[in-house]
Amino acid sequence: MELLSNLAFGFGVALTFQNMGACLIGALLGTAIGVLPGIGPVATISLLLPLTFGMPSTTAIIMLAGIYYGAQYGGSTTSILMNLPGEVSSVITALDGYQMARNGEAGPALAVAALGSFFAGSVATLLVAASGPLLTSVALSFGPADYFSLMFLGLIVSAVLSEGSPMKSIGMMVAGVGLGLVGTDVQTGQQRFTFNIPELSDGIGFAPMAMGMFGVAEIIRNLEMPEVRDALKTKITRLWLTKEQFKRVSGPVLRGTALGSIVGILPGGGAALASMGAYTLERRISRNKAMFGKGAIEGVAAPEAANNAAAQTSFIPLLTLGIPANAVMALMVGALIIQGIQPGPRMIEAQPDLFWGLIASMWIGNLMLVVINLPLIGMWVRLLKVPYDLMYPAILVFCAIGVYSLNNNSFDVYVTVVFGFLGYVFSKIGCPPAPMLIGFVLGPMMEEHLRRAMLLSRGDPMVFLQRPISATLLGLALLAVIAMALPSIRRGKDQALAG
Amino acid sequence: MKLKPDAQALLAGFLFIAFAGAMLWMNMEHPIGTARRMGPGYMPMLAFWILGGVGVAVMIGGLFSGANAIGRFVWRDMALILAAMIVFGLTVERLGFVASITLCVIIASFAEKVYRPVRVAGLIAFLLALCWFLFIWYLDIRIPVFPWSY
Repeated sequence: MELLSNLAFGFGVALTFQNMGACLIGALLGTAIGVLPGIGPVATISLLLPLTFGMPSTTAIIMLAGIYYGAQYGGSTTSILMNLPGEVSSVITALDGYQMARNGEAGPALAVAALGSFFAGSVATLLVAASGPLLTSVALSFGPADYFSLMFLGLIVSAVLSEGSPMKSIGMMVAGVGLGLVGTDVQTGQQRFTFNIPELSDGIGFAPMAMGMFGVAEIIRNLEMPEVRDALKTKITRLWLTKEQFKRVSGPVLRGTALGSIVGILPGGGAALASMGAYTLERRISRNKAMFGKGAIEGVAAPEAANNAAAQTSFIPLLTLGIPANAVMALMVGALIIQGIQPGPRMIEAQPDLFWGLIASMWIGNLMLVVINLPLIGMWVRLLKVPYDLMYPAILVFCAIGVYSLNNNSFDVYVTVVFGFLGYVFSKIGCPPAPMLIGFVLGPMMEEHLRRAMLLSRGDPMVFLQRPISATLLGLALLAVIAMALPSIRRGKDQALAG
Repeated sequence: MKLKPDAQALLAGFLFIAFAGAMLWMNMEHPIGTARRMGPGYMPMLAFWILGGVGVAVMIGGLFSGANAIGRFVWRDMALILAAMIVFGLTVERLGFVASITLCVIIASFAEKVYRPVRVAGLIAFLLALCWFLFIWYLDIRIPVFPWSY
């Protein structure tokens, strides 16, 4: 019953006025950017980092987390009503959700999206609470070699799972690891790749990098496309489900929750992949296959449950091992370090209010989001009327001031410009930016663990195969590589990603 | 296998190789050390050799993977957006953030199809008020508001 007392403690932290406020702001902002195409959670969280400097660490993380899972709720609204997914993770929802809206069933579609997400979010939150302390005790027995192998596995799996060519993803990841090494070498004090620029001796800032690739590059990409925004044609009726509909969605929601929870923990998984997997699964096993793509309520329920479950469980590797599973979590690592907290297995003990407070706030935030999304839906739809020509200069100005205020230095603004340019080029040659950000965060950690492991083993690389944990992890990495090479599995992944 | 070059993959592979090569060349000035006592050059050496290898693999794969042209670049819009940010960086300390934001928005707005001065002016006024409230009044960040603020 330790879990219960811990959760009670967590609710004590989360229910303070300040933390409730932070949670609400995060949920509102998350919904807003979920609704708006052209700005996603990565750019928003990096934009808001400077705002969190003055906050207590728990409050800051609660707010940033709210943005991530809030975006999963908001993204479904416009997918269903206008076939206009605000986030990648809700592209799948649009397939059947928009068809439901066209059949005059917008109300039930929105209701099942919100309620399914809430159910999945609650279950996944409990899962985080239960598995956190458990995994932490395992993680404490990890040596440097095991850590290195774990990160290696993480990098391999996220490359295998990411969209597009896995080889390009690996390249982006390794390039990210290399960029992470720029700056002063911690052990010898040697300046590496700094060109004698004093600002680079602390390394490249991850916020300018993320904002450049996910904020600025995204603006340029959006300017390419002519603006298409249909006014809302469908009328929303009856925001609830019939008894029969409840029965139809219970299975898909449960399966979506289970699948999403697992995919969320996987490195490189995250919400987008979870919703695609859940939809593919339902389409394969559902009794009314013929309805899929024509407005099947199961096709809305499963991916919506899955993407929200994944958004919650992707916090597990971060909170227990200190390893980010996706780009948003990589930013969270940065946010924690700025707050002076080293993410890792000791965090639950050293910062119990952060861990349990965050978990309690996730549940509260999910509850808030149901309220924010169902009755207030008209307000969010109106947000879409803001034309892009007013939005992008605003995003740009916020990027500029936000980056500048990190160190009160224009140098970071120029770094953002460079990564904005690179991000745009990468998008043209099919190189995904997220693996680069993950590699960038993991690079310095990997170097440190590699050095320590090799020092302990007196230079013998066999240590990675002699330690059972490390050997197992490397074996899993090998399996992942083999799976990637098998054509049938690859086709399945491409199908899932293409919807 | 038939030769079907994929321009995207070829360029991606070339960029990986070029980046790895440049970094390896610069890495020559860092002591490598031994596997037991790694110097500052050891990890970069590993990472960039792997990156170079991946680059070669991407290029070779790209020779056969089928035509895949690189899309059109919107050079003008890109240049305007990036220039707006550079101008912000150059001017914010000397001219203060009011002038700097104004310049930034004006330059960025040229990326639209039609330039509507009144609309842009309204946007600038709104953004200035919002930024002042958020960054100066609420967050109190150290940033000059006007050239004469410091």
